[in-house]
Amino acid sequence: MSVITQYMVNQGVPQETVILILMLPIVATIIAFGRQVIGIRGFGIYTPLIITFAFLATGLKYGLAIFIVILLVGTLMRFLVRYIRLLYLPRMAIVLTAVALAILAIFLEGAYSGRKGLIASSIFAVLIMITLVEKFVVVQIERGAREAIILTIETLFLSIICYWVAASVWLRNLVFIYPFWIIFGAVIINILLGKWTGLRLFEYWRFREVIKRVDLPEKK
Amino acid sequence: MNMLAFLKKSKYVLGLNARNLNYLRPSNSLRAIRIADNKLLTKKILRKASLPVLQNYGLIRQIKELKEFDWSTLPSTFTLKPNCGLGGQGILVVYGRKKKFPYPWIKADGRPVNIKDLENHILNILEGTFSLTSLPDIAFFEERIKLLKLFKPYVYRGIPDIRIIIYNSVPVMAQLRLPTKESSGRANLHQGGIGVGIDLGTGITTTAIHRGRLIEYVPGARLLLKGLQIPEWKEILKLAIQAQIVSRLNFLGVDIAIDREKGLIISELNARPGLSIQIANLSPLADRLLRVKGLKIKNPLKGAKISQDLFGGEVEETLEEVSGKKVIGINEPIEIPDRQSGKYPTMAKIDTGAYRTTISTNLARQLGLNEAMRYKKVRGALGLEERPIIEFSFILDKKLVSTEAFIADRSQLKYDIIVGRKDLKQFLVDPSKNIFMSQRVLEKVKEKRGIK
Repeated sequence: MSVITQYMVNQGVPQETVILILMLPIVATIIAFGRQVIGIRGFGIYTPLIITFAFLATGLKYGLAIFIVILLVGTLMRFLVRYIRLLYLPRMAIVLTAVALAILAIFLEGAYSGRKGLIASSIFAVLIMITLVEKFVVVQIERGAREAIILTIETLFLSIICYWVAASVWLRNLVFIYPFWIIFGAVIINILLGKWTGLRLFEYWRFREVIKRVDLPEKK
Repeated sequence: MNMLAFLKKSKYVLGLNARNLNYLRPSNSLRAIRIADNKLLTKKILRKASLPVLQNYGLIRQIKELKEFDWSTLPSTFTLKPNCGLGGQGILVVYGRKKKFPYPWIKADGRPVNIKDLENHILNILEGTFSLTSLPDIAFFEERIKLLKLFKPYVYRGIPDIRIIIYNSVPVMAQLRLPTKESSGRANLHQGGIGVGIDLGTGITTTAIHRGRLIEYVPGARLLLKGLQIPEWKEILKLAIQAQIVSRLNFLGVDIAIDREKGLIISELNARPGLSIQIANLSPLADRLLRVKGLKIKNPLKGAKISQDLFGGEVEETLEEVSGKKVIGINEPIEIPDRQSGKYPTMAKIDTGAYRTTISTNLARQLGLNEAMRYKKVRGALGLEERPIIEFSFILDKKLVSTEAFIADRSQLKYDIIVGRKDLKQFLVDPSKNIFMSQRVLEKVKEKRGIK
């Protein structure tokens, strides 16, 4: 089964690339499971997915630090910019600029104190995280600060879980050796998840007062 | 064992997965959903079916139209809305207009709104800032609903509406949504509005939630949320069904508001109604939907009737439970606890015409209650006189009432004590109840009230 992956690596495709591509269905399945069965909403499937891969590229420590700085600066800027009334896109461009500056400052600090892991981290991972600021700001506008915080925490939680799964050596070996079984398994699980009509785990809590008051029909 | 019952019971509750897979997808065509998501289109098809909707004052599709817009056509009060807004976002309400130059409109919080502000807001709407899909949107001006007096104490600005979930032309659940200060005048529950369950049979409110938690009173006010009778309940149910038939959505949330002058108005259709209505009603949906599935409903009247019969609770029998007040008659047996922890039973006359309770001098002395706390001047039938006030408690219909009562000479009168309206706040008085009491009836009442 590993013939194809082996061949690709022999021909010069980086092993990391193959593994990450094969990790994608697994991470996506975890996110789908989190939504349908547990009830973690997060920001759809794209955001947690991309954060997971950004974390994989930068490492969890720096990834989280960058992520939190982006969120804080983005939110702060949103409130500052709100007072000068601007149209949406220019306003967002200003927020993005501020976030970019903050990231630059982080790298400056990394260079100053010689944090190799930070300054060597993939620029694309960091760029992707910066662009996510739009997503967070939009949620803040649409659903209010409280909901945005909850959704952000859920997204972060999901991404960290996915990071741990995708970073596990055992699983990395597994996808490399049995790529098709992994993909096949992911599809099957997702079909089952897509047909799942039971209550989500969080809904048992949300509707607990209703459930308690249900009168079961008496058996005769 | 308990866990098992919990799991079994949970099957009756409708979750998001089941709502999406079993009800939204199979029942609702994409075309119909698109209509419901589009406020202007919704209004158009509803108006065509001659159902009541709010009047439009003007709409702006492009920046060009904004530049040419004649601001003088706007009245002093209106709402400005995005066509495809999500969850009440992007709605601007003005309540009036200043008479001084530059004639700004006034927002809910009293701040002025100039034409420049309106232009800015409209530009944001056109850009799609508030839209469901972030695509360019249309802005429109709409008439503002005038608040019904009945709801006035319950809401913080904004207009309450009645959300009715309809499946297969039968209303299956309803709730009253009240805007709060926290929700800044919007009725949406996840913005912080209050959801109050409504009994489908009678239109009387039952239980309430705020932020997913059960509450009894309006936050910050001693105002009971249950027991409120929604006016024109049957008409509301019928109107909701008519809207559902026109919308061609088989599973739908219909929002109906009540205008002080125009009456019922369909304010919105919702193709993806939220599920917390189950908490507000403390009642599960899945079971109700199954009971309605496959029924053939010939007309709205029939649908409303079925809904009322199937899902109406036992509210009528338990008026006391709903209002949280006991229903008492004109003559009531009461008990007065005395100093020696004994109880003195007597008969009291319930008199809503009197403000304060009055106890006879003889009885007060007998119970050792004759130490006046203070005196108060009263203008009575005998002219101005000063009466002593004493504090004591009595038990009426199993409820302990603490009172500050007058002492007066009642030796010529039939009752030693009359209970005034100051002490009747926990009760409803039915004047046709207990008027003449034979010994037999009295025994019965006493037994019911727990007095030996």
